[in-house]
Amino acid sequence: MDILSRLDDIKKDFKAELAAAAGEKALEEVRIKYTGRKGELTRILRSLGDLSPELKKEVGKKANILKKEFEEAISSSREEAQQIKARKKQEGIDVTLPGITERLGSLHPITQTMEKINDIFVSLGFRIAEGPEIETEFYNFEALNIPLDHPSRDAFDTFYIEGENLLRSHTSNVQIHVMQTQPPPVQAIMPGRVYRPDTVDATHSFMFHQVEGLMVDEDVTFADLKGTLSMFCKSMFGEEIRMRLRPHFFPFTEPSAEVDISCIMCKGKGCRVCSGNGWLEILGAGMVDPKVFEAVGYDAGKYTGYAFGMGVERIAMLQYGIDDIRLFYENDIRFLNQFR
Amino acid sequence: MRLSYNWLKEYVDVHAGPRDLATGLTMSGSEVGQMEERDGDAVMELEITTNRPDCLNIVGLAREASAVFNRDLNVPRAEISETSQERMDMECRIKAPGKCPRYTARIITGITVKPCGDKIRRHITSVGLREVNNIVDVTNFCLMEQGQPLHAFDLDKLEGGRVIVREAAKGEKITTIDGEERELEKGMLVIADAKKPVAIAGVMGGKETEVTESTKNILVESAYFDPVSVRRTAHALGLSTDSSYRFERGVDKGMIKPASDRAAELIVEEAGGDIGAFFDEGALEVETPTIKFDMARAGRILGIPLETDQVENIFRRLGITVNEKDENILTVTGPSFREDITREVDLIEEVARIYGYHNIPARVTKLVPQVTRKQHQRKVLEKLRTILAARGLNEIMTYSLVSREAVERFRAISADEVGLFNPVSEQHRFLTPHLADGMLRSVAWNVNRGNRDLGLFELGKRYSREGKGKYSESLTLCVGLTGDLRKNWEEGDRKAHFFDIKGMIDTVFTGFRLEPAYERAEIESFESATEVKITGEKAGFIAECGRSVLDKYDIEQPVFIAQIRLDGLIKNTDLAHHYRSIPRFPSSTRDVSVLCEGSLPARQIYDAILESGEELIRSAELVDVYTGEQVEAGKKSLTYSIEYGLDTRTLKDEEIDSVHSRVKDHIRKKLGVAFR
Ligand SMILES: [Zn+2]
Repeated sequence: MDILSRLDDIKKDFKAELAAAAGEKALEEVRIKYTGRKGELTRILRSLGDLSPELKKEVGKKANILKKEFEEAISSSREEAQQIKARKKQEGIDVTLPGITERLGSLHPITQTMEKINDIFVSLGFRIAEGPEIETEFYNFEALNIPLDHPSRDAFDTFYIEGENLLRSHTSNVQIHVMQTQPPPVQAIMPGRVYRPDTVDATHSFMFHQVEGLMVDEDVTFADLKGTLSMFCKSMFGEEIRMRLRPHFFPFTEPSAEVDISCIMCKGKGCRVCSGNGWLEILGAGMVDPKVFEAVGYDAGKYTGYAFGMGVERIAMLQYGIDDIRLFYENDIRFLNQFR
Repeated sequence: MRLSYNWLKEYVDVHAGPRDLATGLTMSGSEVGQMEERDGDAVMELEITTNRPDCLNIVGLAREASAVFNRDLNVPRAEISETSQERMDMECRIKAPGKCPRYTARIITGITVKPCGDKIRRHITSVGLREVNNIVDVTNFCLMEQGQPLHAFDLDKLEGGRVIVREAAKGEKITTIDGEERELEKGMLVIADAKKPVAIAGVMGGKETEVTESTKNILVESAYFDPVSVRRTAHALGLSTDSSYRFERGVDKGMIKPASDRAAELIVEEAGGDIGAFFDEGALEVETPTIKFDMARAGRILGIPLETDQVENIFRRLGITVNEKDENILTVTGPSFREDITREVDLIEEVARIYGYHNIPARVTKLVPQVTRKQHQRKVLEKLRTILAARGLNEIMTYSLVSREAVERFRAISADEVGLFNPVSEQHRFLTPHLADGMLRSVAWNVNRGNRDLGLFELGKRYSREGKGKYSESLTLCVGLTGDLRKNWEEGDRKAHFFDIKGMIDTVFTGFRLEPAYERAEIESFESATEVKITGEKAGFIAECGRSVLDKYDIEQPVFIAQIRLDGLIKNTDLAHHYRSIPRFPSSTRDVSVLCEGSLPARQIYDAILESGEELIRSAELVDVYTGEQVEAGKKSLTYSIEYGLDTRTLKDEEIDSVHSRVKDHIRKKLGVAFR
């Protein structure tokens, strides 16, 4: 038989069988019969070697075109078959059954708050610096102008370890490490865990988290401090928030300030959260005291700087409306799952 | 510190109501908390910072108000003109000049002790002091008025006609006016008569010599005691008084005699009697350094332009004397009651707080734009948290301070622990050397509340002592799994088991393109313990918690735990992605079912497949583990699916078959196993 007319026959047969094939399984049988490894077309393509060069070219071309045609036809029939099947199936299932889900975990609210604070300052050009929790008196007190046997030390009550070693009571120790290791300009924040020997209750914890910040350069002013903190407060608490600075005392800054924001609960009208006065204290800040510069070997005549610090738990409690600090460390999943 | 609005008004005529006064004081640094209005007065509770002992009295606060509201201040000063020579023969001496540089004693004779007059009583009770009698009330009035603590002794009860300021000897005792008998430590400063201590200097007077209704003659003490000495004594005795609170912070060195005079004047007014001898021992240098104030520099630090007149006025109101004025420089001396003013920066703060922080503009131009790359570690941790939370785990945070039992319970995974000298409780005495205790506490907390299906993780630190004064803080991941891992109507429940936690750790490492090695290990308190290594270094373990440990936490269900140090992960992670071309030629797979002893670690078969040296192997994966009827007892069958391929062309079936049989040969030879 003429091999070319044999190809025509194959095509005819294929079309007939394809039309008759119902379902994916039948289609697969058709595929194997014609384009499979031992299929009709494949066999012809394999036997091309026996033909004359001209015939070989012609048959080869035609067979390959057919092969492609068959494959496309099968694939589209298969799609159609699948759609029919799916439609049938869908009509039969109860779509109101719960979906098959995976458990979704959560990040701790302190992590989320701390990262939010970090992100704001990183976007303002601050870099993140970290340091040890187990510190020496020098980094926790002396270099920060907090003298021994002075009432100002009461605010930084501390856990002692042995000798000069203690658990840091603030992350200001990292400010000293940073300034000791790099010349100005410095623009960094210091997030981390800190400790003070407080008895645990709804508002106190012997362990909590802080983010502090430090900027040192020539001509850094109190106005810059206000500018930076205002950007932070608006980014953190919303555009409409108002901020005010009150004079305060910290041994390591002068002038020093406490920073209040208008109450985020009552918008400043006065409520239980803000003790009725419309303001919430959220930050301590000030211009770096020249004695701190002296301790790290910076030229206090040339450089000025500002520093600030805040408690992460307090901010998280305000933002989420949490009224008991212990919730952060009980790790009740009914609490944690609310922060997914 | 409590402030009465009416009392303050006696010294400064602020044209402001109580609310405006409170705001003015708050915004200049004397924070007003609660305010109570009653009987036509307003009483405010103030928080005075430790650097401002001068604000711990009404005149001091009046001075602040005078600066804030720009009104004149009237400070009462007594003039003692006539004194008798009564009791000139008394002996008054300082034996510890380091702790008491100046001591004054004034004799007043022939007084009548009775209740105090209305005005003084009203004032001292308005600020929360208890009325006692006219003598004590006057000394309290003077303390509150101008800040100098005074003490009145019953002169006739001082034995031997002597008043000695000396250090206590070890074991000396005194009964203080609160009725407590107190044993003194050696070196504590006391006032003594010829025989015994009669007062703890600067802290509290003695019961025996206190002024009573029968007192006729008194000795009024006005002195300066060293702040550190008073602080240490008060701390050691656990006794904080209005007097010690002020001495600790430093009283006005210029007020020692004026305060004594003022008290004498008021005592004679209230109790009659004659002002007698005045003893003034020691010398007290009032140091008021001369400071140069550079107007331009101050303006630069604050970010505002300053005017000389304005600054001068602020200084004058605060009692700071301007000695010289030189174009841009003011040369000034601070008053005796402001020992906190020693440097130019202290003056800048004074100007700023009276000028008003709210009047200083905000500026945002100084921020230095930096290339804000998130630091490597932060990125790694963020990715780690994201992976774990997406895999269904809740992040927890636990206390870094744990009990001795918690340390001992996991001795096998604890390095030398770090202990605290002054813990708040035994529950929190040690910096934790592992994260297992926090994890199991959190599991127990939830299980006890009926939440038994848990996947938790913590990124915390483990602390250890590495030698004297040397400590390590090691960032660590802890994962805990317990209860049902999956619950749905189609597949039903499935309890978490060892391979779930191992898979969790595998997933984490996959996310960082690292392949950990696992080795069986024996770790006390744990079962199925497996050591995890990253690039050959020990990184931690995964295991099931032992029964005995779980009992300690009252947990009945199995708990699987993993603890992995993160330093290696952080160090070895390269977050940059380098693209390698995807294979252009398809691969084929062949399965091999290995029949071996049940005890043969699967990893060995896997390794044998890969090391068979066939470069055509793209990957190998365990697809089935079988024990049961089909295989002999004690044996198991492991089926691996091996993927073969080549980057340059498609492999022929015969090639694949032949390499596959070579791989099998290698496994057989290496491990002596059979195939199914
Ligand atoms: Zn409010």
